[in-house]
Amino acid sequence: MKSFNKTITTILLFAVAIAGCKKSFLDRPSNSQISSNNFYKSTSDLRLATASLYAGAQWSRWNRSGMMPFGDVLAGTGSFAYSQDLVQLFTRTITAQNTYVSEAWISLYNVIGQCNTVINAIKEQADASIPQADKNAAIAEAKFIRAMAYYYLAIYYGAVPIIEDNRKLIDNPLLNRNIMSDVYKFATNDLTYAAQYLPKTDQKGRLTTWSAQGMLGKVYLTMAGVGKSGGMRSQSLLDSAKKYAGNVCKNSGLTLFPSYYELFKAQNNDSPESLFALQWTAGVGYATGNDLQTWYAPTGEVLPQKTGGWQSLAPTYDLYRMYSPKDTVRRKATIMLNGDFYPELNQAAGGYKATGTGMKKHIIGNEKDNNAPTMGSWSSIEHNSLLRLADVYLVYAEAILGNNTSTSDADALLYFNKVRTRAGVDPVTSINPTMLRVERRVELAYEGQYWIDLVRFSYYDPTSAVKWLNDQDATHGRIGFTYDPVTKIATRDTTALPSTLPATISSFTLPIPASEMTSSPKLAEPPVPYY
Amino acid sequence: MNQTIFIRKLPAFTLLVIFLMLLHLRGYAQDRLITGKVAANEDSSPLSGATVLLKGRNKSTVTNEQGLFSILAKKGDVLIFRMVGFKPQEITVGDANIINVVLKGERTNLDDVVVIGYAKIARKDATGSIGSISGEELRQTQPTTFDQALQGKVAGVVVQQVSGQPGGGVSIQIRGVSSISGSNSPLFVIDGVIIPPVNDPGKGSNPLNAINPSEIESIDVLKDASATAIYGSQATNGVVVITTKRGKIGAPSISYDVYAGFQEIPGRLPTIDLQQLATFINARAAVWGFDVRPEFANPQYLGKGTDWQKELFRRAPMQNHDITLKGGDTRTQYLLSASYFNQEGIALGSDFKRYSVRLNLDNKTTNWLKIGTSLQLAHVDENVAATGASVISTALNNTPDIPVTNSDGSWGAVTNNSGWVQPSANPVALATIIKNLRKRNQVFGNLYAEIQIAKGLSLRNELSGNFDFTTEDYFSPSYTFGKGTPSQNSGSTSAGQNFYTVIRNFLNYGHTFGKLRLDALAGHESQESTFHNVSAGRINFPSNNVQAINAGDPTTATNGGDNSLSNPKGGSAQESYFGRINLSWDDKYLLTGNIRRDGSSNFPSYNRWVTTYSGGFAWKIKNEAFLKDVAAINDLKLRLGYGLTNNQGIQGNSFITQLTSVPNGLSGTAQFQSNLANPNVTWEKTDYYSAGIDASFFNGRLSFVLDVYNRQTDGLLLKVPLPLYSGTAAGYSPGSMAAPYVNVGKVSNKGFDFQISSTNISTQKFNWKTSFTLSRNINKIIFLGSGGDQANLSTSFNNDIIQTTVVGQPIGQFYGYIFDGVYATPNDLQTHARPVNSAGNPYPVSAAGGGIWYGDRMFKDLNGDGVIDSKDKTFLGSPLPKFQFGLNNSFSYKNFDLNVFFSGNYGNKIFNQLKVSQTDPQNNSSYFSAILDYARVALRDPNGSATDVNNVYVTNPNTTIVSLRNDNTNGNNRPNSLFIEDGSFIKCKNITLGYRFSEKLLSKIHIRSVRVYGTVTNAFIITKYSGMDPEIGSWNPLSAGWDSGYYAQPRVFTLGANITLN
Repeated sequence: MKSFNKTITTILLFAVAIAGCKKSFLDRPSNSQISSNNFYKSTSDLRLATASLYAGAQWSRWNRSGMMPFGDVLAGTGSFAYSQDLVQLFTRTITAQNTYVSEAWISLYNVIGQCNTVINAIKEQADASIPQADKNAAIAEAKFIRAMAYYYLAIYYGAVPIIEDNRKLIDNPLLNRNIMSDVYKFATNDLTYAAQYLPKTDQKGRLTTWSAQGMLGKVYLTMAGVGKSGGMRSQSLLDSAKKYAGNVCKNSGLTLFPSYYELFKAQNNDSPESLFALQWTAGVGYATGNDLQTWYAPTGEVLPQKTGGWQSLAPTYDLYRMYSPKDTVRRKATIMLNGDFYPELNQAAGGYKATGTGMKKHIIGNEKDNNAPTMGSWSSIEHNSLLRLADVYLVYAEAILGNNTSTSDADALLYFNKVRTRAGVDPVTSINPTMLRVERRVELAYEGQYWIDLVRFSYYDPTSAVKWLNDQDATHGRIGFTYDPVTKIATRDTTALPSTLPATISSFTLPIPASEMTSSPKLAEPPVPYY
Repeated sequence: MNQTIFIRKLPAFTLLVIFLMLLHLRGYAQDRLITGKVAANEDSSPLSGATVLLKGRNKSTVTNEQGLFSILAKKGDVLIFRMVGFKPQEITVGDANIINVVLKGERTNLDDVVVIGYAKIARKDATGSIGSISGEELRQTQPTTFDQALQGKVAGVVVQQVSGQPGGGVSIQIRGVSSISGSNSPLFVIDGVIIPPVNDPGKGSNPLNAINPSEIESIDVLKDASATAIYGSQATNGVVVITTKRGKIGAPSISYDVYAGFQEIPGRLPTIDLQQLATFINARAAVWGFDVRPEFANPQYLGKGTDWQKELFRRAPMQNHDITLKGGDTRTQYLLSASYFNQEGIALGSDFKRYSVRLNLDNKTTNWLKIGTSLQLAHVDENVAATGASVISTALNNTPDIPVTNSDGSWGAVTNNSGWVQPSANPVALATIIKNLRKRNQVFGNLYAEIQIAKGLSLRNELSGNFDFTTEDYFSPSYTFGKGTPSQNSGSTSAGQNFYTVIRNFLNYGHTFGKLRLDALAGHESQESTFHNVSAGRINFPSNNVQAINAGDPTTATNGGDNSLSNPKGGSAQESYFGRINLSWDDKYLLTGNIRRDGSSNFPSYNRWVTTYSGGFAWKIKNEAFLKDVAAINDLKLRLGYGLTNNQGIQGNSFITQLTSVPNGLSGTAQFQSNLANPNVTWEKTDYYSAGIDASFFNGRLSFVLDVYNRQTDGLLLKVPLPLYSGTAAGYSPGSMAAPYVNVGKVSNKGFDFQISSTNISTQKFNWKTSFTLSRNINKIIFLGSGGDQANLSTSFNNDIIQTTVVGQPIGQFYGYIFDGVYATPNDLQTHARPVNSAGNPYPVSAAGGGIWYGDRMFKDLNGDGVIDSKDKTFLGSPLPKFQFGLNNSFSYKNFDLNVFFSGNYGNKIFNQLKVSQTDPQNNSSYFSAILDYARVALRDPNGSATDVNNVYVTNPNTTIVSLRNDNTNGNNRPNSLFIEDGSFIKCKNITLGYRFSEKLLSKIHIRSVRVYGTVTNAFIITKYSGMDPEIGSWNPLSAGWDSGYYAQPRVFTLGANITLN
């Protein structure tokens, strides 16, 4: 013990203590999550970052609560369910507290927030070794998706705030709304960038320049009516729509999928006809995947774990009236009638025979039907399209029709009739605006499109658009119906209905969610220009 | 005895005069050798190092390791026996040559030693506010974990049980709630091992519930900044320092402590039996026009049915055994103990077992080097009840007509196929068939070396750590309850490691320069914690008997990354430099200065370092000339303190955007940005002012401590709720990024702590002592950033805000309507304000659906606009108590001792969530007895119209229960004052009666001491609260005070013995 040297011991103990401390001691990056400042090292990192923009929790709530409740229920294609907030869509008494109104708002801005963060991160942090073209392409994907979100916001809510950098909101959270035409302009700027930098072809499911050009055509067609009246639209914007949509029709090399019925099966996800589809996957949890069939199916019988069908979205009598007698393929692929047999649903039980009317599109069956064991109530593997070639064909025809009362333009007829013949209905020799609206409604039913068409209509012909909505009520068009498989007669429901407020031009704009107005009072002020 | 103490306190010259006189009177006698032994009264262990002073003769000696002493004295001399921590005793030498003395191990505040962070000092020299309790006091309440026993013992410390589950956690707040995002829990330091504050110490790696309370020597609670600043940024909510027992110089002694007992539920909530249920359902069916149940046709023939509370709760045994060996010589002291604790839960399916071994060793290696260790190994087995924390509400989900088991042996459950009757789980079945076993192994220890470099200068090195290994095994077999959906079997298993290490070096220097005493401390500390968890789950196992995870269906496998393990691996680090100076002038003026610089990995490198500092001043007024001679005052000290402390209550890496892997149909996985980063996030800062008085009177028979404080926390870290268009959300919102942490708010906590103790009666045979603690804290939000009042920090119930945090109010204030009776008369319906529909128009008065009718609840129209809408909501009180108190009385008579302890809260509110559903006639679970008083609607003219307002009335207009009508347009269950109840209570936490056997008797069988005792814990409660137990803790201050039927604290009866062998 006495040989213990006091000085040496003291020094040793100090040394041990100090050796424990490195300079990087306080740097503790998370081990389970990647942080933005150590990601974006290679092109494949950029691809992973943009892949998340194609689906996921940020899209899920809009997909369920915005796309069809507005696109189809508000437009009189899907009948309301007996649920308080859906009833408001029927009675035109939509309040700022309406769940669908706030869910869609939250979801679309979540999409924008994700896109903004990816765009800014690539601009600021992507490794210098990544080829510029790859960076541009990745930014182009994010910009396309951001443009989609702004497009929907402008359609539903009109003037909304434009946000490009969410970080700025930490210090300055309160924003004014931006005028609607600037929101559209912002979308076209993003899409123009995307059209320029996206590749002509890419992995299945990824965006291409044709996606961006098709969408540009659609947005220009919408913008052509903004601020107009009397049924006349801006010719130069119609020309832009025609240019981009026409380019996709003629030069993309893409064609319609041969069978309309098969197009909506999950095994045909991301067919060449699909220009932008949400890339859902199985096995994800509540409110993070595609749960359309779980909510809106007519029955839980055909669903994973036989669970769902809580808010069966019945077709309206008005929609049923739109199908001509020969239009059976699209009808059966879109809505079920009593007695219809669907062999692909619930195959273990030998298929499903419908016992009433109901929505069919998006109903793809259970996990065994799709050979997807982890597919559950919140995770259908259907990649539902938000833009497909048939839509662009009809946009092209409409752009050509323009301000005319009818057209027999060869191109317009060619692409219009391609949509019809694929569905097994007769081609036409002349197109007028009403025919276009009906064709779009039937072709794109339950894809969230018809309300968009009506809003577009309301921009340049408000009187007719308002009348159109009121006529639909006058003919009891937004009511469900029953179908007798023996007599093949459809009978409109006669149950007493909640009283409906007459439509006005303001019926075409949804309120901004109440909680948002409370937390950001400047939204109540008149919108300001962005540019 | 009082007289002798009085004499001791007299000025020296007076003593001298008295003794000179005594000497003269007695004349001269011959000195002879007096020997004897000094022992402590608590366990009769020998006291080494006790001073034996020959009064007035300037002669003294010290007892050796066996407590023995010898001194030359003569008849008539007075021997004074003194030992720190014990009451001095004087004995006059008589004819006997052997004098054995038992010193009372009772702490007087004056002789106390307290921990001040990296050192101990005498309480009388402390400048900060420090509350202490001894291990003995702690053990009086027989706690499972020590934190449960702090309640009511230290003023200013609010302790609330979160769950009565065995080993369940408590929430502890010292002087209020100062953080919304971060933890409000204090820092725990156990034998030098820092346990960083955790939000939920109830589960996971809670080192606190592995500490055996019987091994604790003392607990010191550091409350104000001048006491805590030395611990830096982790200590802003106070510090609880736990010191375990250590070996003492003396012969080896073995002690065995044992207790065994049982626990039972303190009471049952009053529910209706089967007969009452049948009558009620029949009455309801008559109003509804449907739901007639044939089996209820003749209620008079039905029995009581199933009492689910009775089925689910049991009288549960518990037992504890500790064996401790301790002793040592001047070089080495040791303490070795082993303990076993086994507690079954009062709810089926829950239990807690703890096995632990402790070794505390101190060795004086050379005259300049001391080394030692505190080491604990613990193993905990825990069965977590399937019904979890909400066991009572689970019991109440089932009605008395449902049997526990059917006659065929299958589990009973809801079989009523009516669509509105929800299937419900059978809680007895769940508790029986579901396996949820948690096992934990913990190594917890500290190693030190202390080098005396020079006189007054020493260096101490410490290496300490906590290594925690946890596994959890879960298996739920396939089952079907009644009409419920069949449940597939599923299993999961998880394993986790939490490692925490600290290296610490500090220098201590102490020197006296004339009247000035200087003590200084300087040191460095680095802390590192890492955690690593993995989990795996599968469903669809081929058999319920094969439960290994690999037996499940591989296509259903999930792992890691599920909700509970969203962050399976990570860690944090902190590095600190600290220093302290204590100055004392003439033992009158004390000055303390602390400074500490902390660097935390939770902040970006440019905001990483922060300085915490504090100063304390104390004036020992008693030592001033003008008080020196006042005999009635034994001590009087004034303390003042100020400090700036910092809190780092955010998760690591929130200053940077985090990318989470999510499944994606395009690429398998993709990177989702899970937060909006705020690169400017920084520390919460608290300005802490405090002042206190310590006083002791009448020879220590009365003493009190009073502290007042003012804590202002600025830069409150908040996950700031930005507008929705930011793509962020502060709470659960799939697809939104987590809101950024921003330093926005400001919260104030002001209050006082008061502690008084008195010896009411002190005679040879009978003693009675009382101590009382009282705490008052006023919490108020001063500012909530640019979001201001709009900051959405609310919690909702039934889609309506029930609890909110706004500027000018305490955190988490209850919010709702004021209940104003039921609509009982035509006048009520015609004049009282009614709720409005979404268009803002009042609902019509109508018996039909969609109308307001007799028996609906009225709410006060506070703004007088004639309608009921959200503008009529008001603040309904705070879940934070206005006052908390504790009252302890201890009595001893001869060999008997009795201790009675009460604690209570005053002025807090509780949201009685069970009452909402269990008194709602539309509900289909079980009902509280109050339901029988539902509003009875009758007709004035029996032949008249039942829909005519003027022909209908309520026969029991004073009821609070709505009528049986099948309509709730009125929103009867909206948050309102009926559900927010007064949670004030007085609880008799503990009654202990003990008996100590005569030592003379025991010495014949070589036993030093035996004490036997009986204890009742949670004996009774006095409260107006209608739920099971008003003592409700919560981790989250924004939604505190919810009684959703949690696991109540049991009443416990135990018998025990403390035995010490020679």
